[in-house]
Amino acid sequence: MPAVTPALVAIVMAAGVLAGSLGALLGIGGGVFLVPFLNAVLGIDFKVAAAISLVTVIATSSAVSAGTAGRNLINLRLGMVLEVASAAGGVAAATTVAYVSDLALERGFAVVAALTAILMLSQLERRNVILDTSLDPGVLGGGFYDEESGANVIYRVKRLPAALAVSFVAGNVSAAFGIGGGILKVPALNAWCGVPIRAAAATSSLMIGVTAVASVPIQYAHGFVPPPLAAAAVLGVLLGSRAGLWFGGRARAKWLKLLMAVVLATVSIVYLRRSL
Amino acid sequence: MSAGSQPLGRLERHLGRLLIAGVVVSAALLAAGLGLWLAAPGHSATIWLLNAGLIALMGTPIMRVFVSFAEYVRLRDWLFAGLTVVVLAELALTVVVALSRR
Repeated sequence: MPAVTPALVAIVMAAGVLAGSLGALLGIGGGVFLVPFLNAVLGIDFKVAAAISLVTVIATSSAVSAGTAGRNLINLRLGMVLEVASAAGGVAAATTVAYVSDLALERGFAVVAALTAILMLSQLERRNVILDTSLDPGVLGGGFYDEESGANVIYRVKRLPAALAVSFVAGNVSAAFGIGGGILKVPALNAWCGVPIRAAAATSSLMIGVTAVASVPIQYAHGFVPPPLAAAAVLGVLLGSRAGLWFGGRARAKWLKLLMAVVLATVSIVYLRRSL
Repeated sequence: MSAGSQPLGRLERHLGRLLIAGVVVSAALLAAGLGLWLAAPGHSATIWLLNAGLIALMGTPIMRVFVSFAEYVRLRDWLFAGLTVVVLAELALTVVVALSRR
């Protein structure tokens, strides 16, 4: 664990800018990049790296959701239902993760990233767009204007129990790995539950804030959140997420999915090699 | 159209304003704390500012759930008002566990 110096603070802030812009672009928070950088490159303990990253996830969630609010992309009802499960998952993992070894956490991180990359690649062409505007979206469904197809999109939510289960696991993953959990929820909501990817990403971005808050106070109490590093990472991620959000509205969904899959595969390989 | 699919545009706009306020306040406190930490190492206000910034950051999503609860009560949407209470109870549990470890 390196000493907290002004130079380290500056490096962490710069890493936050990059992670924040990529994270907002992909709708998964910046943690999936920040944790490996803080841990594997800077030598910060995995649990501390994860906790710092999770603090930035809260900032990303609030900043990105403030930007998307008003476009009907965020499904507030579905988000609240799933937060019951993801917050429970966060509390459960936060109370146990202090007793898990860093090696086990690194292996788990590699597996989660790899599975998600595979899921993304298998769903590249699925669009979940129903161009019948007379469809009743039901209690949990929604509708929004899709810039890519130039039409109003209405969708119903299928397989809610699957979405709840994935949200609980995403809460575990969020607290253990500091990565928000969007990398699980966005593909699952898109592939299994019929939620269009932009709505899934916007809803997930809102959810990861509450999910992170369900575990960060416990990690802070364990001493895993050094305030100067957390502050630097948060400020960097906030700057970066503004840039990423700007690009996100202009990127095509297929490219977004491909990019996500490549990034996740790379992170997985790095961590598998480290833990072997 | 079922009662549950009433538009939530008003709530979404409220939440957008709340979230941006939370981000601005917490970023200002964290920037001030970090600036002081760099300019005057060991200053007593540093840790206060940094912790206040972190608390404002964590408080923002919690406030978001509170505001959602108020809106669901206003809409008499008791199912979703109840769900927000469950989420608030989970967050309260985390804070209790954290405080008991200090």
